[in-house]
Amino acid sequence: MTNISIVKKDTVDIVAAKVKEFQERGELHFPANYSPENAMKSAWLILQEAKTGKNEGYKPVLEVCSKDSIANSLLDMVVQGLNPAKKQGYFIAYGKQLIFQRSYFGTMAVTKRVTAAKDIDASVIYEGDEVDYEIINGRIKNLTHKQKFGNINKEKILGAYCMITFSNDEVYTELMTMDEIRKAWSKSQMWGKDQDTERQGSTHDDFKQEMCKKTVINRACKKFMNSSDDSSLIMKHFRRSDEALTEAEVEAEISENANSEFIDVESEPIDEDSIELPEGIEQQQMTIETSQQRKPSFA
Amino acid sequence: MLNIKVLASSSKGNCYHITDGSTPLLLECGISFKEIQKGLNFKTSDIQGCLISHEHKDHCKAVSDVIKAGIDVYASQGTIGAMNVSSHRLNVIQAKKQFNIGTWTILPFQTEHDCAEPLGFLLTNQAGEKLLFATDTYYVRYKFRGLTHIMIECNYAIDILRKNVENGKVPAAMKDRLFKSHFSLANVKEFLRANDLSMVQEIYLLHLSDGNSDSDRFKREIQELTGKIVKIAGY
Repeated sequence: MTNISIVKKDTVDIVAAKVKEFQERGELHFPANYSPENAMKSAWLILQEAKTGKNEGYKPVLEVCSKDSIANSLLDMVVQGLNPAKKQGYFIAYGKQLIFQRSYFGTMAVTKRVTAAKDIDASVIYEGDEVDYEIINGRIKNLTHKQKFGNINKEKILGAYCMITFSNDEVYTELMTMDEIRKAWSKSQMWGKDQDTERQGSTHDDFKQEMCKKTVINRACKKFMNSSDDSSLIMKHFRRSDEALTEAEVEAEISENANSEFIDVESEPIDEDSIELPEGIEQQQMTIETSQQRKPSFA
Repeated sequence: MLNIKVLASSSKGNCYHITDGSTPLLLECGISFKEIQKGLNFKTSDIQGCLISHEHKDHCKAVSDVIKAGIDVYASQGTIGAMNVSSHRLNVIQAKKQFNIGTWTILPFQTEHDCAEPLGFLLTNQAGEKLLFATDTYYVRYKFRGLTHIMIECNYAIDILRKNVENGKVPAAMKDRLFKSHFSLANVKEFLRANDLSMVQEIYLLHLSDGNSDSDRFKREIQELTGKIVKIAGY
């Protein structure tokens, strides 16, 4: 058996056993149309092709990443009931850590499953659109939005909103201005430190409408999920995969930057007069004087 | 002969007194000036300067009183701006630009913390001793040659932190903050592995977290790794 097929047997068996255990304890129920076996098969096909980034030299992730992180990322995927073949998430290597990163399709799928939401829809608001809503008890209610086709222009986006509709016709609405959306985008690694608007030719610019929807959907789902019951196993893994991502990002940053550049201090011969205390002079007085005179001399 | 005296080292306050025999300095002043005076038996008049790494209160609480006592303060522009003090005794220093205070030559360098413009310090004296001081940084970008003394933060161990988050002692958000602001045991070890320690005489572990550390274990593990004298800067 090749190395990779050994990894496969080990990790896939471990994950499958764990999933079975959860099911037997009644902690995990999959929707009728979700097959954990199929999702894992899809995942494995994708993983065999997946390569690390430039810094690690485009090596196969299955060779580079730790077995534990491969197993954990598969478990996160399966428990959340997601399938990478439906683009509900991606496997990304951060150094030796493999992470299952949920896409916004994935976030929508989990939200529907956990909160019994019926529909999740998002729309972009352009200059000239008519938008009307009330705020009742701190919640946005009765949002109506009228748009003329001619208003659609990616350079004139004012904001976006997302509505989560439940089977009892309750609606949860999340609204973001373009400023807020950009603030969220600025946290992405693609944005430079002081960048405040999207770079021309970047994904945020080229697909601005879709990216706006994605951002507001993510915000709506996460807010709603975080305000709901979090004792379930799914919620645990929903959170865990976010946490694992934060951790892996920091670890990757550290291993990329830490302990890399030599610096040294050059000892400088000092002007003896400026520090030697002439004998016989009362020390305290002297130190006050010298400390006032002495300013740092920069090299 | 380099002498290091720990006056305080924790998230409640940090202050260290160092001297090479001719130029005594304070590193940080994150406790009240009274406590600094007490810790030094009221011998503060010969202190030639106070280096401050960043503006968080546990590192600069006494800055106004230090200035009043006639001690020059050295910090980055960002730190001085954020401390919101003004005085002719404030000296702006910059990363990678070395300067002198008495017999010390000091090279500040960038550290990684959630504040304006944090610095660490590499200090050398006429006797050829070389001290590294790095705290409140989740990693150090740099490597150093010929260090004789190391004072480095060792805030938490990831396994202890995880356990504390799991049983609810530490909020999850705190964990994310620690990751991007403080030095973990594992990363301190990586740092020590990456540096030539052949000249090192002693290593001080600073700023241990109240609940997410274990001083005996940290001391033992760093001793085992380096074979050096390891001291825990007590809280």
